[in-house]
Amino acid sequence: MISNPDEQELAKQELTARLSLIESMIAEGRQTTESWGWSFVLWGIAYYVAIAWSTLGHSNFAWPVTMIGTGILTAVIASRMTNRQPETTVGRAISAIWIGVGVSLFIFCLCASSAGRIDLQTFVAAVAAMLGAANAISSIILKWKGQFACALIWWASAAASCFSTASQSSIIFLVAIFFGQIVFGVYMMFSESRERRNHESKSGAAHA
Amino acid sequence: MRPMPDPLTEPASESPAELPDLNPVIHGKLRLALLSLLSGVEEAEFTWLRAKTNSTDGNLGAQLLKLEEAGYVAVEKKFVLRKPQTLYRMTESGRRALTDYVQALKQLLGSAINAR
Repeated sequence: MISNPDEQELAKQELTARLSLIESMIAEGRQTTESWGWSFVLWGIAYYVAIAWSTLGHSNFAWPVTMIGTGILTAVIASRMTNRQPETTVGRAISAIWIGVGVSLFIFCLCASSAGRIDLQTFVAAVAAMLGAANAISSIILKWKGQFACALIWWASAAASCFSTASQSSIIFLVAIFFGQIVFGVYMMFSESRERRNHESKSGAAHA
Repeated sequence: MRPMPDPLTEPASESPAELPDLNPVIHGKLRLALLSLLSGVEEAEFTWLRAKTNSTDGNLGAQLLKLEEAGYVAVEKKFVLRKPQTLYRMTESGRRALTDYVQALKQLLGSAINAR
């Protein structure tokens, strides 16, 4: 046992420093510098392109081609951005949600547009409901209220589309894309850049 | 007041009489930082660990080797796009050891506070 009060104080300080080190390193490991705001904006633009192409060009390939193209572009950019970032359980959970919903959306859009049996209102309601679910699950995992608001926009659009005419449903979808993808994506990019700046200023402190 | 010993260079010889219950393999500052980092991720590259700890290749390699020898981390070497990649992940025994270390640390801190 340490009898000297000075030494006791030093030992206590050292133990407290060790505990702080553990806490800060665990937080550091979980801290991600990945940014995903761009992908929301990219997919928002992709939806607008697909809508414009299918409406003006009357093409059944508009949705599948745009979705495949955007999917490949997202995968390429993401693989470059997340290179050398260690995988975390939360990160894999979020990826799993978006991959699962992305594949579901792709199959649904491909089959619905090529079969031509589904009316526009049902199509918009199904797509909006799936995007609402993905955003809601992601927001619950990340404990991020902003993304839950985004999920509410999609769910409200899904519900409204069921009770509207085809032209009203189109407007609802365009507005939901604007707020749920473009506006939310830009907001996400701003908050990510602010978080990165804070993180970089904190990282200036000497680590181990 | 006497200066604090540098735990980065003297991890194993840290006043054993003062800290009797703390695992000396984990108690080294850099090794503790590495285990804490690895506890939050599934696996991490050598370069990522180096950036997060601001340490040199030599020191980091030596400390990781000690953790590997103790069975607290597992290493996997592979090639990705023809580039060598060394991945480290925490083992079950490493996780248990870190948990025990934190418990011991809290107990010691608790007794230090009570002793005042």
